[in-house]
Amino acid sequence: MSESDPEARRIAGEARDRVRFEEDALALADQVYRVARHLVGSREEAEDLMQETYARAFRSWRSFQPGTNLRAWLLRILTNLNIDRGRRVQRTPDMQPLEAGDYYLVDRLEENGGPISAEERVDERLSQDNIVSALSNVPHDFRDVIVLVDIGDFSYQDAAQILDIPIGTVMSRLHRGRRILKKQLAEEAVT
Amino acid sequence: MIADCDKCEELLQPYLDRELTDGERQEAEAHLAGCAYCARRYRFEAELRMYVRQTAGEPMPPELKEKLANLRIGL
Repeated sequence: MSESDPEARRIAGEARDRVRFEEDALALADQVYRVARHLVGSREEAEDLMQETYARAFRSWRSFQPGTNLRAWLLRILTNLNIDRGRRVQRTPDMQPLEAGDYYLVDRLEENGGPISAEERVDERLSQDNIVSALSNVPHDFRDVIVLVDIGDFSYQDAAQILDIPIGTVMSRLHRGRRILKKQLAEEAVT
Repeated sequence: MIADCDKCEELLQPYLDRELTDGERQEAEAHLAGCAYCARRYRFEAELRMYVRQTAGEPMPPELKEKLANLRIGL
């Protein structure tokens, strides 16, 4: 098979594309893990899910369209695998915690510790443990969008595609989810 | 004005997400510039977002990175 053989060139080109795809996907692994870690309950689950995701991504690399958002594509695989594995426990609507207004947390912190001055930082009133614990107590449907948008820095549009829900649902879940998170934070931080 | 503050509260989260139209963004910025109550809350909300992002940013274990690299087919 000479180098001018079209079939040989095609195979060599495909091998190059595949290697490039794999390198690009691996370069995003840290960012994908940051999101994965908070979509599931434990570090072990997140690690399993990452390996399943990358194994599937490497097998089905041809279905990725170059030029589109690879990080969103990987997260779409990851969330689908997460759902397929039945790792999500859906709550019925009446079990969802009640939310408060957008300013509930800041108002509660100010009621309990005085006005927050311009120089004071949020971490003087809230610990990292407060954040991690409160986030883990937000129901999945709401937490997924918070994790994608606030931690993963995805746009509303990307989050909608990853979760396969309408953009309006992303917006309403985000709005309610952040309120639920702030209520949980207020309960954690203000006793 | 209460009505303005309610409106600002409604615009604040999408403003922080940079998902507002130019007109809505200008409306939110004009209100924030003149209302100390909302400006304080804007600052708190912006910092809280950043804090959540930093806190949740647990680095990937190095051995996992190695396991993922070993899943490659292309080499």
